[in-house]
Amino acid sequence: MIVLEFTTAEVELLRTLLTQYDEILQQPGDDPALERLFPVAYRDDPDAAAEFARYTRSGLVEHKSSAAGSIAAAIAGGGSVQLDPQAAERWLPVLTDLRLIIAHRLGIVRDEDEVPRDPLGDVYHWLAELQTYLIDAIEALE
Amino acid sequence: MVPDVAGSSPVIHPNEELETVSVSDALWTTVVWNDPVNLMSYVTHVFRTYFGYSREEAERLMLQVHHEGRAVVATGPREEMERHTEAMHEYGLWASVVRA
Repeated sequence: MIVLEFTTAEVELLRTLLTQYDEILQQPGDDPALERLFPVAYRDDPDAAAEFARYTRSGLVEHKSSAAGSIAAAIAGGGSVQLDPQAAERWLPVLTDLRLIIAHRLGIVRDEDEVPRDPLGDVYHWLAELQTYLIDAIEALE
Repeated sequence: MVPDVAGSSPVIHPNEELETVSVSDALWTTVVWNDPVNLMSYVTHVFRTYFGYSREEAERLMLQVHHEGRAVVATGPREEMERHTEAMHEYGLWASVVRA
């Protein structure tokens, strides 16, 4: 089992992020943040890219939303969370998507772009630490 | 699925025709592109768990993405490459389908 201990503030933060994430996922169309959650699958062929999006978008939204829902459920009872590796695995893509959205808000587009030292930058780093912790824990149990 | 060959030259010499036929059937790739967000450990983890690559191969591909900006992570029929690309999007990686 993988054990996580979140503070009350961290639980609140995660809960807020997950709610916002779900709202962003359900938006139709072209919020620029969505471009990175649902990348163009054919860079030189707009028709094929549109067809790919038509076939995959709703399934991806459903999958991402359900993964976010399982995290929300895991922290519903407070900050002490126990996960088996399979459950922990489902956290990873959500944490990635949250970081992609925040990176977009922070204007991080190149490797050399610096993360600002502000609250949102702190959240960005915190999500990376959580993801790193989970990856290490999952791989330690392999 | 047969790829669209509308862009190819109408003048086909014998040798080129052979090549066109052999390539047209199967060779598509799934390409993962570099982004400044995803952690190297996560990209390696995804390559291992989804594709079943060894740690060494997964790390080699991850470093190729990081240093060269992109890496081919799978090669094969178009529909299969679309499935891999969709899976990469599920993981939050920046992937696309590219003709080999």
